[in-house]
Amino acid sequence: MKKLNELTIHEAIAGLKKGEFSSLQITEACLNQINNVDKKIKALITLNSKNALEEAKRADEEIAGTGAVIFENKPLLGIPYLCKDNFSVKGLVTTAGSNVLKNYVPPFDSTVTGRLKKAGAILLGKTNMDAFAHGSTTETSDFYPTKNPWDIHRVPGGSSGGSAAAVASNMCLFSIGSETGGSIRGPASWCGVTGLKPSYGRVSRYGVVAMASSTDSPGPITKDVKDAAYVLNIIAGKDHRDATSSPAEVEDYTPSNNFSLKGFKIGKPISYFNIDLESEVKQKVEDAVKILEEMGAEIIEMDLLDPKYSIAVYTILQRSEVSSNLARLDGIRYGNDRKSFGFEAKKRIMLGTYTLSAGYYDAYYSKAQKVRTLIKNDFEEAFKKIDLIVAPSMPCVAPELGQSEKSSMYGELMDLLSEPSSVAGLPGISIPCGLSEGMPVGLQFIGKIFGEKNLIEVSNLFQEGTDFHKEFPSL
Amino acid sequence: MSDKYISKEEVKKIADLANLDISGEVDKLTTLLSDTLGYIQTLKELDTSKVGETFQVTGLTDVFQDDSKADSLTKEEALSNSSDNYKGLFSTKPVFKR
Repeated sequence: MKKLNELTIHEAIAGLKKGEFSSLQITEACLNQINNVDKKIKALITLNSKNALEEAKRADEEIAGTGAVIFENKPLLGIPYLCKDNFSVKGLVTTAGSNVLKNYVPPFDSTVTGRLKKAGAILLGKTNMDAFAHGSTTETSDFYPTKNPWDIHRVPGGSSGGSAAAVASNMCLFSIGSETGGSIRGPASWCGVTGLKPSYGRVSRYGVVAMASSTDSPGPITKDVKDAAYVLNIIAGKDHRDATSSPAEVEDYTPSNNFSLKGFKIGKPISYFNIDLESEVKQKVEDAVKILEEMGAEIIEMDLLDPKYSIAVYTILQRSEVSSNLARLDGIRYGNDRKSFGFEAKKRIMLGTYTLSAGYYDAYYSKAQKVRTLIKNDFEEAFKKIDLIVAPSMPCVAPELGQSEKSSMYGELMDLLSEPSSVAGLPGISIPCGLSEGMPVGLQFIGKIFGEKNLIEVSNLFQEGTDFHKEFPSL
Repeated sequence: MSDKYISKEEVKKIADLANLDISGEVDKLTTLLSDTLGYIQTLKELDTSKVGETFQVTGLTDVFQDDSKADSLTKEEALSNSSDNYKGLFSTKPVFKR
């Protein structure tokens, strides 16, 4: 029998509808778990317990008053979640993991947290992250590093490391992360949970502390794929406050009961499997590919541009956009002044200032935008012959703390299997596919732009046929 | 210390442009930025002479909306995080020397 904080969203909703337990009980179970294990994991920055408990009581009253039908209007009513601390929440301190914004209290809600509130979800608190999302380990948080719940001597991944570690340690039913190049898929992979990075423009960026505006994509981190679909159903769609959010039709992302892999073509890019992968990671992913084949998928060996070019493109574009976005932080209208920036932020702002400056713009920024066209075209050509791409999420399992300081390109080299699809704006998902020496391995699918439905159907089918996603660390 | 792609003088100039204090970090930043610039030289291997730039990936260009009244922050809300304000305005340091 699962504890209430261990439930998935769909299990919790089924139980709330039947009156088997209350939202207050789930919320208290999550707060207890936070109280018991977060001293060790350090996934949270801010706890919102008083508001959460009040909202849970109100949710229970609404369910009692209206009955199960209320879930048609409020599909996540009474479901407690945690949110990465770069999403503005009205009246709740929003730091982006940085000393610059340590005391910043937004006077407005981000679209993502606003939509979740409208859908009835209960915000338990805000999670730790690399400061301004600059990193792949959560070690560059200006406050403290988050630990991996599977082994506290290892990193959880980043930059949404607090959000992934919180889901893996059952502090919440789901969490929200954001990805610019690997920041959802990476920590989901290393913490053994499901992480969905939607297409660029599918989910509004309004109210998210900006990192790289041309790739930032908010998305869910969950205990299974069905839950990711539930959350995406709420947060996806055009937002008049974000001009780059897409008017493309929002499908019902809930996985169907009759999806079949018969005739479905999954591409296996040679260069994504020939990089320096840990042998056990490679083996687990190859085993997962065999399972997909047994389920009826046609596996097609193909190739894409070497991911090393995407890393270079990503590095230039991300730093350039960072230098521009963080220029607004001057300590006048909000936040502390520029003396409060940590070393990593300074390093990134400086590289971006350089690549955008006169004399270097053409060699770096413009060149990167042209290679981005090649990457985008390369994926478009590939998707004429296949329906989906399969790959490892990360080249290795979570490393020990302290490794990221050793190389200036550490994060980019860890994220090399998600950065190509990020710069092309494509959706991707990481789901668990086994353990290597006790640490989770992530299986990745990459889809066409706005092809989230296919990603969800295939990964849901995989989870229906396997139990990897049911493994959680003992804390 | 590697300064193959960027010199210490350039690093100091960029810090000045970006309004960042890097005292005590110049050598370290010169090495790290030079390393990163070295890595991204790999893009030179690709011919992009006939390729245009991709600034956005979803095909949206020139997004307009009606110029109509919408919810906005109150003055108090807008000023609520300011370090210093005066009669409903943000206070800044002087820009010009007297």
